[in-house]
Amino acid sequence: MACSLLESLWGIVFILAVLAPNLTASFREPSESEQKNPTEYREVEFIKRYCLECHSGKKPKASLDLSRFDSIERIVSESILWDKILIQLGEGDMPPEEADLPSLDERSNFLNWVESSLQEAACQSGPHPGPAVLRRLNRAEYSASVRDLLDIHFDAGEALPSEGSGGEGFDNAAETLFISPIHAEKYMDAARVAVEYAFADTRSLRRFLVAKPDEKTPPEVAARRVIEAFLPRAFRRSITESEILEYLALFHAKYEADPSFTVAIRLTLQAVLTSPKFLFIAEEPNFDVKPHKVTDHELASRLSYFLWGSLPDDELLEAANKGSLSDPMILQEQFKRMLGKQNSRKVRDFSQNFVEQWLGTRALGREFKPGKSILGYDSELEGGMKYEPVFFFNEILTKNRSLLDLLKADYTYANRRLARHYRIKGEFREQPKRVELTDEDRRGGLLSMAAVLAVSSYQHRTSPVLRGKWILETILGDPPPPPPPNVPELEESERGVPSESLRERLELHRRDKACAQCHDRIDPLGFGLENYGVLGRWRDKHEGHPVDARGALPDGTTFTGPEELKLALLGRKDQFVRHLTKKMLGYALGRGLTYYDYCAVNSIMDKLRANDYRSHFLLFGIIQSVPFRFKAGITSGEGEHAATLNQDESINE
Amino acid sequence: MALSRRTFLKGAGAALALPWLEAMLPQRLAATSTDSKPIRLAALFMPNGVREDQWTPTGQGSEFALSPTLKPLEALKNDILVPTNLWNKASDYGDGHYVKTSGFLTCTTISKSLGYDLNSNGISMDQIAARSIAQKTPLPSLELAIDPVTIGVDTNVGYTRVYGSHIAWNKPTRPLAREINPRLVFERLFRINNPRATNNISDSLLLDRVLADAKQLRRRVGASDKARIDDYLDSVRALERRIEQTSQSGVGSWSPRREISPESKPERRPDEHPERVRLMLDMIALAFQTDSTRVCTFMFGNAVSNTNFSFLEGVKGGHHSLSHHERKEENLTQYQRIGQWHIEQYAYLLNKLKSFKEGDSTVLDNSMILFGSGLRDGNRHSPHNLPLILGGTAGGRINTGQHLVYDKDTPLSNLYCSILDAFGAPVERFADSTGKLKGILS
Repeated sequence: MACSLLESLWGIVFILAVLAPNLTASFREPSESEQKNPTEYREVEFIKRYCLECHSGKKPKASLDLSRFDSIERIVSESILWDKILIQLGEGDMPPEEADLPSLDERSNFLNWVESSLQEAACQSGPHPGPAVLRRLNRAEYSASVRDLLDIHFDAGEALPSEGSGGEGFDNAAETLFISPIHAEKYMDAARVAVEYAFADTRSLRRFLVAKPDEKTPPEVAARRVIEAFLPRAFRRSITESEILEYLALFHAKYEADPSFTVAIRLTLQAVLTSPKFLFIAEEPNFDVKPHKVTDHELASRLSYFLWGSLPDDELLEAANKGSLSDPMILQEQFKRMLGKQNSRKVRDFSQNFVEQWLGTRALGREFKPGKSILGYDSELEGGMKYEPVFFFNEILTKNRSLLDLLKADYTYANRRLARHYRIKGEFREQPKRVELTDEDRRGGLLSMAAVLAVSSYQHRTSPVLRGKWILETILGDPPPPPPPNVPELEESERGVPSESLRERLELHRRDKACAQCHDRIDPLGFGLENYGVLGRWRDKHEGHPVDARGALPDGTTFTGPEELKLALLGRKDQFVRHLTKKMLGYALGRGLTYYDYCAVNSIMDKLRANDYRSHFLLFGIIQSVPFRFKAGITSGEGEHAATLNQDESINE
Repeated sequence: MALSRRTFLKGAGAALALPWLEAMLPQRLAATSTDSKPIRLAALFMPNGVREDQWTPTGQGSEFALSPTLKPLEALKNDILVPTNLWNKASDYGDGHYVKTSGFLTCTTISKSLGYDLNSNGISMDQIAARSIAQKTPLPSLELAIDPVTIGVDTNVGYTRVYGSHIAWNKPTRPLAREINPRLVFERLFRINNPRATNNISDSLLLDRVLADAKQLRRRVGASDKARIDDYLDSVRALERRIEQTSQSGVGSWSPRREISPESKPERRPDEHPERVRLMLDMIALAFQTDSTRVCTFMFGNAVSNTNFSFLEGVKGGHHSLSHHERKEENLTQYQRIGQWHIEQYAYLLNKLKSFKEGDSTVLDNSMILFGSGLRDGNRHSPHNLPLILGGTAGGRINTGQHLVYDKDTPLSNLYCSILDAFGAPVERFADSTGKLKGILS
């Protein structure tokens, strides 16, 4: 009613304006700033209207006075503050419920404007990498590193505490790799078990026990050789003579108490694996004001933990020793070698670590464990489901395929059980194998993979809300804000009779304007996947009714069923690839991204667009990027602080 | 809910519960510890709240009747205390779960964070207790859970799920890692209780080298990173101290109050939820009985845990899904059943501790075992009138056998003040506390 009245009023205004142009002047003269930059004017008005009531005056709320932000320059000059404000605004914490609330469009226009302005400003101010890395190896990295050091096929990190995620949502983020009192004990135990295991295996022994005492070789000489070979590999850098002597001293101490070479060298190697020099990736801090390139050894570790989830191999270390790794040609050669076939296990570890955390499919068998009511779920199916996206992604990475295959592809990987589940014909085994898909298979791309469809469902039924939310978050990188506090979830306030379909019930709810703001974007996306059951099996009918898979994108593009949904999403390919790029960069850097990193994202996007979105342009683009190749200088305040601390320490020691 | 016969025979729990064990084990009480009645504290956290209309007992003071959910505690009625109307004001903010989990024992509002600048803004009450007796036991505290840390960050509400997976904080920026495998907990306790001299010498040599490396590294890294190396240094030093403590005799030394039978080792991490929970509760009992530690936290599940409870008759579905009961009777019934199952487990632990004699009393008498959830009704995520029970008298310091109804919205932190007092670690204030709870301390 109000809307139509307004429309007709505007109609009159329009007619008046056309008929008598001189009349319009009497409405309101646009101010100078409004004429110069209407967007800026509008968004500054946003601040005035929705923020200043509390955040201005003598006693602004939270001591935060926003009245000074009357231009984009002022906002950009305090980007750290605005970073925090945007989070509060984006997640609906601010403005508070009882205040005058902006519409979703107003809110998102404002957010986009400030965000893009901050990014633009960040990119213009030159390269801004993150600081030198200091982070503990996570459990998977620890296991892989010990495996490669000792050449053992045994999960040395199995007994370590599990870890959570930070940053862009990965468990390699420095910020959430905490150290609890239990860790030293766990690492010491793990090292003992791993070294014992390795000493029982002659093949492993050849890898690290490069010398043994004999008539010509006294025990100390043999020990020295072992240490000289082992330490640089474990610490991923050149080592000093004093470091060799320190470990040799440990060997001696043990050997004197118990004259057995094996016992003493075992203890020595255990100490290496318990040392923070092994357990932490610790780059030399840059005390300059300007960013510096990381050293070749640091680059080797950044590369190997990114693409392999493990420490650098001999060839990478060799290139770093020579100082040639940072040479663009050599770097590219190494990159190709690392992704090559001979190292497929390590690259697959990478695929698995990344994909399972990005898609959330690591929850299979953990947080997602369907009950007996979901028929046919067994461990072989779980395995097939779990590995399908991993093998698929691994092929895209190693074969330099288009990242758009992730949205729509004519191939996938299935084991015997999953192929039966999908009703795909052919010979299959327990191990997943590649299979070409036809249209009748109704598969291809992440969205029709059982693992994805399962983790975006409840354990007992599908949910267009959860799946819609999953697509927004995971594929489009545009998570909806949380529901306002104390509002029951959409599906629960229903008073619907059982005969109503889920679609009707959800539509009923979206008549509530507060719910509709977000659910108009979420639910229609999820409906596109209703042809897939909880475990992703195809269904034409559900509970006796034909499946209604009509849906729409947030921009209103309509579609029916999964294939059209995929095409609709391909229409948003830049948004998808950009989100994936951000995720991958966050994974590669082991931290959350800042505005400065978006400059790198932009330039990688340019390369991807020009090269059919091929995966190597993503990976190598990251490797060549400023945040990957450089480390920031320590700010002067912190540098001084460090210097004082160092002085204090030298007094203590 | 039935434990398999194999677990029953071989599991630590069963073995420890058998009456002959007590008789067979040598007692070294007098020589072992200066405290004849060490006070223990455990906090057991349940995710997802309770069915509220079936939680609160009827009646007040010592004249009260247990609610349907609390029925499994009937035989232990004189050993427990139920406080009603306590709330955790600091967690009435942010989101439905994370704030109410990480803040459960800190009574502070955690910072909204995806990881960088993660901060609970407080220390959990168990860790304040642990700090006060840190030198007396080999482990200052023991952190146990069932689920691995939930992965990912919740971009929807802006919190890393790390928050929903931790309740113990010994620094505002350091949530304590938890052990989820009962077998590993057992091995750890066993090793602490049976130190071997030769191993200790090797371990000390190794740790000397590791400490020296940590110091070298600390000198090298930037100022803001030194804290991380310090955390590792702390961790190494704690281990060093323990090795000293358990390998020497005389002042400051430690030896177990009971010996651990190697046969009682759990076989592996069982697949079934009930077995896992039972074995973990057995590990708490074992740790307390041997005096390996006096402080423990345990999480039945992480925040938003959707553990499938269809092993219970009449239940089909996950815990979190059912906690959003939509006020439908069929959901509420199942939700209540799950809550009651947790109380059954709690009763199991209390009974077990009660079966361990300690002088003229029992381990339960010398303990405080807190059970609770960070929210009341799963549908509303409200931290008002939290479901809480305290079991054990802390050596006669707690007036159990009561249902105490407080004024609406009495701070939960007041309960923690009283608990810390009874533990022997009194604090002037804890978080937003306004005093001690009336009627608890005798």
